[in-house]
Formats: sequence, structure tokens, C-alpha cells
Amino acid sequence: MSKSTLGGKGRIVGGAVLILLFLFPLFLPRFYIYLVSIILLTGLLATSLNLPLGYGGIFQFHHAVFYGVGAYGAALMITKSGLSPWIGFVVGPLTAAFLSLIMGFICIRLSKLYFGMLQISLGSLVWIIVYRWYSFTGGDNGIHGIPVPDVISSQNSAYYFTLLVTLVSLWALHKIINSPFGSTLQGIRDNPVRSAMIGINVKLHQLVVLVIAGFFAGVAGSLFIVVDTAVFPDMLFWIFSLEVLIMCLLGGWFTFLGPMLGAAIIICMRTFVSGFTDYWTLPLGILMILVIFFLPNGILGYIEEKLHGTLVEQTVKE
Amino acid sequence: MLEVKSLSKSFGGFAAVKGANLEVEKGEIVAVIGPNGAGKTTLFNLITGVLKPENGKVFFKGEDITGLPSYKVCKRGISRSFQVVNVFQRLSIFENIQISILSRERRTWNLFTPSAKLAVEETNGVLESVGLMAKKDRTTGLISHGDRKVLEIAMALGGNPELLILDEPTAGMAPEETSRCIELIEDLSRKRGLTILFCEHDMEIVFGIANRIMVMVRGGTVIQGSREEVRSNQAVQEAYLGGSDAC
Amino acid sequence: MDLIYAILSPKLMSQIFVGLSRTVILFIVASGLSLILGVLRIPNIWHGSLYMVGAFMMFTISGAFGGGSVGFWMALILAPLGVAFVSLIAERSFFQHLYEREHIMLLLLTFAFSLVFGDLVKMVWGMEYKSVPVPQIFQGSVHLFGGLPFPLYNVFLLAIGPIVAVALWLIVNKTKIGKISRAAAVDREMVGAVGINVSWVFAFVFIIGCLLAGLGGALVAPTVNVSLGMDQTLIMEAFLIVIIGGLGNIWGALLGALIFGLAQSLGILIWPQFGIVFPYAAVTIVLLLRPTGLLKSTW
Repeated sequence: MSKSTLGGKGRIVGGAVLILLFLFPLFLPRFYIYLVSIILLTGLLATSLNLPLGYGGIFQFHHAVFYGVGAYGAALMITKSGLSPWIGFVVGPLTAAFLSLIMGFICIRLSKLYFGMLQISLGSLVWIIVYRWYSFTGGDNGIHGIPVPDVISSQNSAYYFTLLVTLVSLWALHKIINSPFGSTLQGIRDNPVRSAMIGINVKLHQLVVLVIAGFFAGVAGSLFIVVDTAVFPDMLFWIFSLEVLIMCLLGGWFTFLGPMLGAAIIICMRTFVSGFTDYWTLPLGILMILVIFFLPNGILGYIEEKLHGTLVEQTVKE
Repeated sequence: MLEVKSLSKSFGGFAAVKGANLEVEKGEIVAVIGPNGAGKTTLFNLITGVLKPENGKVFFKGEDITGLPSYKVCKRGISRSFQVVNVFQRLSIFENIQISILSRERRTWNLFTPSAKLAVEETNGVLESVGLMAKKDRTTGLISHGDRKVLEIAMALGGNPELLILDEPTAGMAPEETSRCIELIEDLSRKRGLTILFCEHDMEIVFGIANRIMVMVRGGTVIQGSREEVRSNQAVQEAYLGGSDAC
Repeated sequence: MDLIYAILSPKLMSQIFVGLSRTVILFIVASGLSLILGVLRIPNIWHGSLYMVGAFMMFTISGAFGGGSVGFWMALILAPLGVAFVSLIAERSFFQHLYEREHIMLLLLTFAFSLVFGDLVKMVWGMEYKSVPVPQIFQGSVHLFGGLPFPLYNVFLLAIGPIVAVALWLIVNKTKIGKISRAAAVDREMVGAVGINVSWVFAFVFIIGCLLAGLGGALVAPTVNVSLGMDQTLIMEAFLIVIIGGLGNIWGALLGALIFGLAQSLGILIWPQFGIVFPYAAVTIVLLLRPTGLLKSTW
């Protein structure tokens, strides 16, 4: 399914959601505004992962690196140089994209599994350096109190900024998926040998996808600074990468909005369940197990299948 | 048009292809036949860049294309269908063919135009010519085997090739599908002037449409010649009647 | 002579020995992970939780037996067995149904289990650190290398390491089931076609692998604060070790653990603040040079 095929009903629901999103600050309490901001940018992060993962078939196991590098890049730029924060917000994603290019270039020569593993090792190296380099990166404390431009420093304005940037980014990603490049990507996902045989330079296309994904992950990282004014080394931690991976799976990794839905579910679970009990990873784990066994295409994937009746069996990939 | 000289490839100690030779003239239909395990698919893989040969050369239109990766071989004008169906199973039939065309047009780097609007006419044209127009929006993972094999060929056509290589195009097809496929191949040769190289186990088909036949046994070329030459050749008769099974 | 003394300085040798004891733990856990990855092709993220459970069970069981030497030895035997039992149930109930699916599904299932167990451990044992006492016979230190003390328990670990390695090697290479496992790693369909119940072979390998994780946890318990979260850094390190050693290769796990453990010790000696970066850098360098691992993998 190369398009978000929710049809007429989907548009109405989508429109309603959009209107709600714009109206939230008028009636939601402060904490919830913050929450929705986090959901939006994490959803963007998950969607950026889904570009190589669900649409490209590349098992990007450590996507959080680009998120963290984007955030740290922006944070360091803002706090260490004297330049305007806006420049920092642009430098962040560019740094992430650049890292993605280098890592991609090194890893793409390898087959799926080894690609994932080399990525994990490179990502872990970046993480541990950030974690220990106290004087430069703030070590395990991270960096706090990052100055953000006045126009977006209040909570509501930060929210609107996040909403806007997320919507624009999603629009761009959607365009890319529906373009010939996007179709080519899905062809590569479904059958790289076949793709090569019809004239597609598979590795090059995959490299470009990784750079795009890295860029938008960096955008999400910059947004986090706007919302939270802080960065932490945990943003680069492998376990977080796995969480983002689950978001894509949970929501549906062959759908466009699935990852966003997955992000919303997981963040809400974490926030609300831990209000009641200390044990929020247990229900998440159980939910994941249920989804893996019964809804392998994710929640949105399941809904789409029901609406369109097109069940494609997952083939065993080696 | 295509010249293969002493091509060799081994896996571990096993020589899958050993000094194979092949010639295909422009406009011809050439068949490669041989017992199971003779190395036909490996030969095709070597020609089309799926595998790299250890020895020997492949020339296409005079140019040395030995060892080029698949996508470059395709861009030179060779297209191929696979024995085991290799299509894009999560995409529709329409999209499968469309991608093939977009690739030829070098439009795969286009990031912003909705692909639904591009190359529609041409894709429909291909769909018509192979008879899949009615099913164009169905997901490829769900269509019948015969249709998928036809789609294989259709995708190879999307690249507007000069040489079409078909690896067991009718394998697993029912009789009506088979004759439809054969008609299609003959059409492509006559009307479009395509040069066709294929391998098959069904001797009726081979002797029915091939201009020349190349016989492979245990990785090497035994003979390449006309139908009569091949039929009357001693070594060929031994290879086929001497116990090894066809199909 | 002076030069030799300079190179083999007590401090250096002491650090190396500390590194080696850590290596033993890493090796034991990583070898289990490598087995599971090599034969079943599952990246078992749950491994970290099982290591943690092994450590916590060590605490409980040794306490149940009075906390002394008896407690220690009983726990050392029972904790890994307990972990193995749990893994058997999980494998039969959940994992075996997914063998035909994509690997990423199995990876996410093991991650789900690690999430569940992260909380289960919290529920059963609470959030505070636990301490497991070193048994009397291993208390105290031995004085090597110019008088620098070296804990006896670490000597015990250094002895256990090769024993486990050899035992594992014997099982994998000399027993019938070991040979079947190795065959199944390469071609599971063929093994099934010869009439062997591949499913139970997989279960066996999975349990052995998990048992090793539990053993690692049990062994490490007296030397560290047994706490929540010990699963997370360990699983990352174990994975990296398995990757550089070669998937499914026991000796590779040993080599990888050596590189990792020694790099960390030496790193701390040379550059204390960034010492911990050294093993990660070493892993990255190895992978850049030999992406498929140092030794042959079973795939």
C-alpha cells in the first residue's frame, strides 16, 4: 500500500483531528499541551524511521542516534557558539543527515543483518562518547536550560511551532512516499534483485533514504529542544531506538500514520499508567506481544485491511 | 548482439558453469536447454550481473559487460524475467510495471511529483499488451501464479529492452496460460523486433519457436545450432536420453 | 629487566586481571546469546533480563539457605536452573510459534519480554539494590603482582570461565544434540526432513543459552550491586561481543569478551574518564575491518 488509503471517511476524521490539534491550547491544561507536543515530535521521529523501515525494508536498528545527534548538534550550536538559536535548529538536522550519510555509506555495503549490527556499534560509540564527555556535552546530565527564541518560548507557542513543523515534515515525507522515489523504494523493499534488474541502483537509493530519514529524525530532535529546552544522553540509547521501532510496529509499519499512532499510544501509556503504578513497561510488553501475534501489521494496518480487504501475507525474509 | 565466451563460475568446489559459450543475433529467438543442474539459470545470472563470473567474457552489442552489476546491465538494454517469480508483492500490478517504466525514464529520483500521475498511458499500454489490464489494481501477492509469470515478463518489457532474457517463462503454468505466454513471446519477437533468449524444459515450446538452440550439460556448452542440427547431434541425444530427466 | 618491569607493572597486570574477570562474565552471557543467535537466528534481547533475574534469584536463594557458603553454592546451581525453566516455558508458549516469521518479529518479541520482565523483577524484588555476600572461602584477597591485592572471588571467576568454555565446546561439538544443532543452524529444513524434531532441538539450544545468561547473572551477583537496569547496558555489550566474535561462534564470544573486557580495563588505566569508551571504539574498529566478525559465523 503506497498511499494512506483511508478514503473519504479518513479525510473527515483527519480534518477533525487537525482542527482539534489547533484548538488544544485553548482548553487543555498545560501538562497535556506538553504531552501532545512530545507525541507530535516523537511521532515524527517514528515516521522518519518508517521511511527506511516500512517503506524501504531496511532494518534500521539504531535510529535514535540521529534524533540524539540532531538534538545535541542543535543544543551545542546554540549554547556554545554565540549564534542565533534558529541557526542551531537548522544545524541539528543537517548534522544528523550528515552522520546518516557517513554511517549509511559505511554500512550499506553490508547485507541487512550486518548493516543493523554495525549501526548499533557505531551508534553505541556515539552514545558512550556523549555520555562521558562531561565537559562538552554535559555527560549523563545532559544540557539544560537551552535558550530558545522568545517567539516560541512560551508553552503554547512552542506547541504551535512543533505542530507546524511536524505537519510540514509529515507533508514532505508523504510527498516523498508517493513520488517515483517512494515507489522505487517500496520496490526495493519487496524485491531488491528485481529492482536491480529493472535498472535501479539499489544501494544508492537506500543511501538517500537513510539520509532523508536521518534529517527528519534530527528535525524531531530540534523540536525536542523547543519543547523541553534540554537534551539528554538517553535520547541516543539503544533501548530508545527499540522503543521507536515498536511505535512503528504497533501503529502499523506499512501505513503512513501508523508510527504516529504508535507513538501516541506508547507515550500515553507511559504517562498515564505510571500515574497509577510504577509498572508501565509490563502492560506495554503485553500489548506488544498481543500485537506481534494477532495484529502483525499494526493497529492501523489492521484497520486498513478491514476496510480494503487486501491481506497480503508476510513472507519470510532471510 | 550478445556474445558469451568461455564463461565460468564455481561455488565452493562445484563448477556450476564451465566454459559456456553462447551467441545471439539481433532479432533471433534462441533457446538454452539442458538437463536439470546444467547451469542455465546460473548462466543467465552471470550475463545479467546477479553473479560475477570468474572467467570468460560477455559482450553486448560489441561492448564488454562482463561483471557489471544488474542495474547497469539493464540500462544497456537487457531485461530479464526470473524463474522463481520476482515481483513486488505488496504493490499493485499497475505499480509493478510503472516502476519499471519510471526506472527506464530515470525518474526514480523524483521526490515530489505524485507517481500516480506519471507514465500512466505507457503502463496501461503494457498492461493491455499482456492482457492484465482488468486486474491492474490488484495486489501482486494475491494474483494467480500464471498471472505473476506474465507480470514478470511485462516488467521486463517496461525497460524497453533490446534483448529479453526469460528464465523458464512457462514453468508451473496451466496449458491455456502456456499457449498465451508463447503467443506473447512470438508477438514480441515479430511485432516489436525484440531479440529473445530463453530457457525451457518443455521441448515442444523450444522446438516450436526457437531459431537456434544452445545445449548445456554440466555447466558447459555442448552445441549451439539450428533445430535440425541439435536434434541430430549425438552428444545431445546421450545427455537427454541417457537417464537425466527433463522438467 | 627494568623495561620488563615497566611493561608488566603491577598496576597494569592488576588491571588486566580485573578485566579478565569481567571478561568471564561477559563471555558466559555472550556465549549463550551467540548460541541462540547462531542456531535459532533470534537476536535475544530478553537475554539481559534473564541475566538480571539470575542475579536476583541468586540473592533470594542464597538468603533462603542462610546466606552462607551453603546458600551460595545452592543458589549458584538453582538460580541458572530457575532461569532455564522460565525460558523453557516462554519458548514453548510463545517463541516457537514465530520461527517462520521475519526475524524482526522475534527480535521485538524478545524485547517485549524484556519489558515485561523488567517490571516483574521490580514487582517481586522491589526497587532497592540487593547485595549478595561473597561466601567465606572466597573472601579476602590474594597478593599478586608486587603486593596489589586481587580478590579471591575473582580468581574463582577466572577458574570458572575456562570450565564453562570447555563444557560448552564439548556439548556443541561432541554430543549428538550439539551436532544436530549445528546442522539445524545452517539448514533447518534439511534437518527436519531427516526426521528430527527440529522444534525440540531449538528449545534445547534456547534453554542452554538462557541458562548461561542466568549463570552469568548468578556469578556476577556477589561482585556488584544487584539492581534494576543491569539488564540494559549488559545486553548492549553482550550483543556487541557476539557481533565482533562471529555469530554462533563460542570461541568468537570468548575472543570478543576478551577484547571488550581488556579494552575497558586498559582504557580506564590510560584515560580514566573515557576508559569506558575504549571497548566501544574497539568493537567499531573490528567491525569496520571485518564486518562479519573475527571468527566464522554459523550462518
